[in-house]
Amino acid sequence: MTSQKTALAQGFIRCHDCGCLSKQAEQNNHCPLCGGRLHPRLPNSFQRTAALLLSAFFLYIPANIFPIMTYTRLGVGEPHTIIGGIFALINGGMVPVALLVLVASILVPLLKLLGIGLLLLNVHYRWQAHPKKWTMMYRIIAFVGRWSMLDIFMISILVSLVDMEGVAKVIAGPAATAFAAVVVLTMFAAKTFDPRLLWDKQD
Amino acid sequence: MTPTNLIACPECDLLLNPAAPVVGDKAHCPRCGYLLQRPRKQSIERVFALSIAGLILMFPANLMPLIGIKVLGTTKDGTLWSGVVMLVEEHMWGVAVLVFFSSILFPLLNIILSLLISSHLYFNRPNRHLAQWMRWLQHIDEWAMLEIYMLGIIVAGVKLASMAELHFSLGLYAFVALLIVTGMLASSLDKTLFWRHIGRLRP
Repeated sequence: MTSQKTALAQGFIRCHDCGCLSKQAEQNNHCPLCGGRLHPRLPNSFQRTAALLLSAFFLYIPANIFPIMTYTRLGVGEPHTIIGGIFALINGGMVPVALLVLVASILVPLLKLLGIGLLLLNVHYRWQAHPKKWTMMYRIIAFVGRWSMLDIFMISILVSLVDMEGVAKVIAGPAATAFAAVVVLTMFAAKTFDPRLLWDKQD
Repeated sequence: MTPTNLIACPECDLLLNPAAPVVGDKAHCPRCGYLLQRPRKQSIERVFALSIAGLILMFPANLMPLIGIKVLGTTKDGTLWSGVVMLVEEHMWGVAVLVFFSSILFPLLNIILSLLISSHLYFNRPNRHLAQWMRWLQHIDEWAMLEIYMLGIIVAGVKLASMAELHFSLGLYAFVALLIVTGMLASSLDKTLFWRHIGRLRP
């Protein structure tokens, strides 16, 4: 059933949206089924992914340095960074939840930045080994990315609930914007990366 | 552009003969292992029914309070919307827009688009916007993050449990029901089948 030949090598283009495969033509590059624009690979995949990744990388620094929220209790303000929030959970004896936040807010974004960086290096230096494993890594990165939004949603809930002047109040900090931007940028970076580039350099 | 009967793997571009898996079977790419198709029983009917159920549940889940707290005699309820409003009041525009999109707008659009597409397919009504709707649905999909919001509610609840009296409101049950319905909706939607029908209904 397999010919081990790529569609592109045979002059076919797969539509990104509906999956319809059609013969490449000089003009009229539109999908015959859904009418979408056809590209053999995602346009400028490498450059776009690299640009998004670099932006995410630089925003990752303020996201971890600045407080993500400030908790004011009876007039005393207490700013929390992402890591500070995790330590507060551990000190409160809530280790499982602390682990959950650690995975979603620290490990996933960090591994995503590293992972997408490695995927780009792989494509750039045309590493031939284990394309299947690299594709698997790409799939994991694309799948887990959205779960980093956990911290952002948690802040949105805390901000709306803990809003009692003079008693207790939670205010979102500047790191929340930076962190949200990191999540969105890395999600876009995973979306613009075309995994077929991992296979194009085979033989 | 001439369409062909062959298909290509979206993640490694391998040219393949289309497998016709039956319900309960899965078709994987022999080279990279990508899940090409997993046919679902009565996909169109189920998506149609579930999107109606989801649309109804959107109202209580969005309008009724999800969780409330009580500190020193003061009670405070939180809805999906109140978090967005508080973030705007604190001038956290970026985070507010992101939370609004991923917890309110995109889940709603997701359900409306599913309803529009599945109802047209169910009643065999051609519409020139079908392909556009389906394309939007595929792009919106990963940005609707209700299940992550639920996790955010749990973590926020754990954080608040030590300092306040928590109570869960009726809206939360609607929210959980909505979560289950949208999860079932996503798993019943057979994209290959939907696109095939959209192609057939083209005016």
